[in-house]
Amino acid sequence: MQGILRIESASKSFQAPEGGVIRALDNVSLTVAHNEFLTLLGPSGCGKTTLLRAVSGFEDLDGGEIYIDGQPVSDQPAHKRPVNTVFQRYALFPHLSVQRNVAYSLEVRGVAKAEIRQRVGSMLELVGLAGMGARKIGQLSGGQQQRVALARSLVARPKILLLDEPLSALDKNLRHKMQQELKTLQHELGISFIFVTHDQEEALVMSDRIAVLNGGNIQQLDAPEELYRRPANEFVARFIGESNLLDATVVSVAGARCDVVLTDGTVIRDCPVNGLKRGDPAKVLIRPENLLADLGQSGSGERAGHEISGTVSESFFAGTDYRLVLSCQGLPPVRASLRAGPGTSHHTIGEQTSLFVPHDAVHLIPGNGVPA
Amino acid sequence: MSRGHNTLENRRKLTLFGLLLPPSVFLAVFFLGPLAIMIVYSWLTPGLYGGVEWKFFHLNYGRILGWADTKYERFDPVYIEIFLRSVKLAATTVLLSLILCYPVAFWVSRMSDRMKNLVIFLITLPFFISLIVRLFAWVLILRPTGFFNQALMGLGLIDQPLEIIFTGTAVVIGMVYVFVPFMFLPLYASIEKLDHSLIEASQDLGANRLQTFFRVILPMTLPGIVGGSIIVFIPSLGNFIVPSLLGGAKVVMIGNLIEQQFLSARNWPFGAALGMMVMAAVLVLLLYYIRIVTREERRSGGSKVAEEVAA
Repeated sequence: MQGILRIESASKSFQAPEGGVIRALDNVSLTVAHNEFLTLLGPSGCGKTTLLRAVSGFEDLDGGEIYIDGQPVSDQPAHKRPVNTVFQRYALFPHLSVQRNVAYSLEVRGVAKAEIRQRVGSMLELVGLAGMGARKIGQLSGGQQQRVALARSLVARPKILLLDEPLSALDKNLRHKMQQELKTLQHELGISFIFVTHDQEEALVMSDRIAVLNGGNIQQLDAPEELYRRPANEFVARFIGESNLLDATVVSVAGARCDVVLTDGTVIRDCPVNGLKRGDPAKVLIRPENLLADLGQSGSGERAGHEISGTVSESFFAGTDYRLVLSCQGLPPVRASLRAGPGTSHHTIGEQTSLFVPHDAVHLIPGNGVPA
Repeated sequence: MSRGHNTLENRRKLTLFGLLLPPSVFLAVFFLGPLAIMIVYSWLTPGLYGGVEWKFFHLNYGRILGWADTKYERFDPVYIEIFLRSVKLAATTVLLSLILCYPVAFWVSRMSDRMKNLVIFLITLPFFISLIVRLFAWVLILRPTGFFNQALMGLGLIDQPLEIIFTGTAVVIGMVYVFVPFMFLPLYASIEKLDHSLIEASQDLGANRLQTFFRVILPMTLPGIVGGSIIVFIPSLGNFIVPSLLGGAKVVMIGNLIEQQFLSARNWPFGAALGMMVMAAVLVLLLYYIRIVTREERRSGGSKVAEEVAA
């Protein structure tokens, strides 16, 4: 695939202050398509910011190459690369007005004054700041500063826009609003966005694809739904969404389906096989919201192999659903979110119950969850 | 409720007043008082054997600025020459110490906290030694048989000793040496708080190093540059120790002239008038500085400041 950005085997190490070496990027390869919204997601220190800074030109790679629109850029200093960045704390110039901030990249390129005025004007309109050009940066709210930062980095029409956790300083409501606006903006402009965040919900909502990073490696690169439903390893499963991860062994395989046995002896039937063979160890991933309340026919033929039984050890009502924790002999606690609709009721603590496991709600992660 | 608030407020004001009173009185008596005496003296007639006669006399200024009554005093352009030479030497001192300090301040601002403190300490270290001693050391370095000329001749770069001592160059070297810490500290303060991400943002937006310097770094550190320049310019302009030791009889600055009028010529009113010239130059500079600083404040969220003042 010839994308707008191709990263090949990027490696970068830092000298740790206490001595020793930190591998921030360990042989990372990645291609970003034209017009794609790609998110780099991971905990702090996973290498996502280093990768972004390598693309913008503020970090030299130890090895590997970065191609922007087919051109290798390792020899290009930051100011010559056709990418722009929205910084975490915006980094707006406090001594310049909104207008001059947005005009900055055009001024340094020597664009004619009339054209600057016209482009800055339409850019400010696009981000909803029409008529605010004369304001000082110190007079703007956090959300307005965010928009100025966006306008400033988009006005020169970069091939890729890099966003370094730009929403982390905003309060929750404003953040949700900006998430939608960013997504819309990206659609309208047709520019590829690379968005760095540690907030998995933000990543799921906005992205076309998400690259989950940990320890300088890409753990998985997939569409949000795929990532959530079929995480490649235990790290991804735990990092994105809530999860129950139970140790299991495959006992029989039939076509695309298999049966597994949990550590307490419970058998779960008809799981998607995911390349496993008989006798292989696996992690069973069940999302809490995919478990269903027991309907009272426990042990009957239809339910056999599709339920987990235990004692309710925690139970509370959370509006749209009941959250409960089931303690089962020989298993880690199993968490469930049961839809709270008409006719449903609260489980009491200490109650014996079984939860129904629909067969399409199970995903098997090969191995013991240790990333290969 | 509001009464309790008021008494508390009043008590606070009273405490503040009490704390500010002694220094205010001290300054009024020992700073404003003598200053007023100088202003008055500069308009009085010089006494025959020193001191003053209490009679209005404008020719002290006339001698300097060009109106004179030949019966009493003659206009002599040498005073304006000396004044302009002093301005030139002081301005050169400012420029050289600025060029010297700016990159160093940048370099120090990137050091670890421990190194920063050490460097700041080292820069203030010369204050521990008497200025006279340090300046005589410069006499020894710069004179024809001194270290500097010996070194250059030893290296074969020159055949004859350079004439440095008792020139304007020597005076500038001495003043730069004396006033460099005063330039460094305000410069460092404004460079230290410069947000590095602004420099990255500038580069990211396509500005090269030169553009980044002139469009972001320079304007953001301007208050430090102006502050340091003024703090160096004022004492350089009125300086008389450095020119009298390193400038000798050839390089006279206005400070030396004032000193001579008070101590040797015993013409106090004329000395006072010369002093007023220096004061006027300094006042003009201070007003300019205040304008720049207030503009700076207005720029960085002036509305907030206004709100605070209103509240």
